[in-house]
Amino acid sequence: MCVGLPAKVVRVQEGTAVVDATGAQREVSAELLDDLEPGEYVMVHAGVAISRITSDDEDETDALLEELS
Amino acid sequence: MTGAADKARAIIESYDGPALRIMEVCGTHTHEIFRLGIRGLLPPQVRLISGPGCPVCVTPPGFIDEAVMLGLEHDVTVCTFGDLVRVPGTDMSLAGARSKGARVQVVYSPLDAVDYARDHASEQVTFLSVGFETTTPANCLAVERADAAGLGNFSLLTANKTMPQAYQALKGSADAFLYPGHVCAITGTRAEEDLVGQGVSGVVCGFTAPEIMCALAIILRRSQEGRPFFANAYPRVVTREGNKGAQGLVARLMEPCDATWRGLGEIPGSGMRLRDAYAAYDARRKFDLPHVEGRSNPACRCGDVLRGACTPHDCPLFGKVCTPQHPVGACMVSGEGACSAYYQYGGEQL
Ligand code: SF4
Repeated sequence: MCVGLPAKVVRVQEGTAVVDATGAQREVSAELLDDLEPGEYVMVHAGVAISRITSDDEDETDALLEELS
Repeated sequence: MTGAADKARAIIESYDGPALRIMEVCGTHTHEIFRLGIRGLLPPQVRLISGPGCPVCVTPPGFIDEAVMLGLEHDVTVCTFGDLVRVPGTDMSLAGARSKGARVQVVYSPLDAVDYARDHASEQVTFLSVGFETTTPANCLAVERADAAGLGNFSLLTANKTMPQAYQALKGSADAFLYPGHVCAITGTRAEEDLVGQGVSGVVCGFTAPEIMCALAIILRRSQEGRPFFANAYPRVVTREGNKGAQGLVARLMEPCDATWRGLGEIPGSGMRLRDAYAAYDARRKFDLPHVEGRSNPACRCGDVLRGACTPHDCPLFGKVCTPQHPVGACMVSGEGACSAYYQYGGEQL
């Protein structure tokens, strides 16, 4: 039940967003994120978009590991 | 594997520091780490231990008893995430209650439970509100929606929990925590940063292979510095501030309370319940439920598994009497439970 699903925002209207998660579209609540725009990526949990995804995981882990070495 | 994962792997495989116990707080991490074969990369002195980060697993049997009571004695339709249906209560699970006539409805989101209540005005509908900070905002949104729509037939049975108090309770069980990324997406990372001052180390961890490997690499490197540390290895999703909207919503509707965790017992201030202003949506108050203590099967070692005190293999029932098809304890039922992960991926050799 705690699994988050990364998804791309397709449409936003009145507190809900239609998101695309690997081809499957579904409506989720967008009430917890301000000014969500189509094209952004979000983490969806239990039918609610809980946070924006701001970069690719590859770029991110690369940068973090740079700091370590 | 990618460049980043390769780099992380090199750090992990070449670790020659002191013995370390790293606790996967989040059940999804336990499963992903098994599925991706990451345990096999760790040097022998680095042990991964499972923690209490599966809300289904830490929910005590008394909560299931309350849900069963709602379904059988109060004619309430119980809406729930599917994981909870087969968790044993003292006398029966919700699946057992269903076979005795209770209406048990599996939903994907608490918001779907509100839709169900709207579409079934003649039924009382209670959603089983378990979960950590990740899920609690969705539960609050459900109450807000039901309230806005004037639904008198919707309520929550709350067992919501908060993680920071659990880290404190588990302080001595691990040298570092893999902090649950989606809890921190909501809460931000201040609580985890503050724990450094109390000697607790950990890294916020995402859920892909490079992210998990990177978080482990950071733990192995930073552990060698000999000082408590914190790092956010999931910044593409987790910010220091977290989700302010979600935090505000939860604070408006809910307040902290003491909570009982399977395996950890009662931890003061580690639960969340609806505020008095929302009492009409609180199933315990609405249906005047008595306090239920609940008992689990005395042979089940879920409690020890959740504290990292033993592995599922140490439980005499594991894989013999207790399997995903016939689970004896919550850790085998839940898709994120440690026993189910060991059963699915671990074989007998780990
Ligand atoms: S194997 Fe089954 S009985 Fe043993 S601790 Fe795990 S869930 Fe409980």
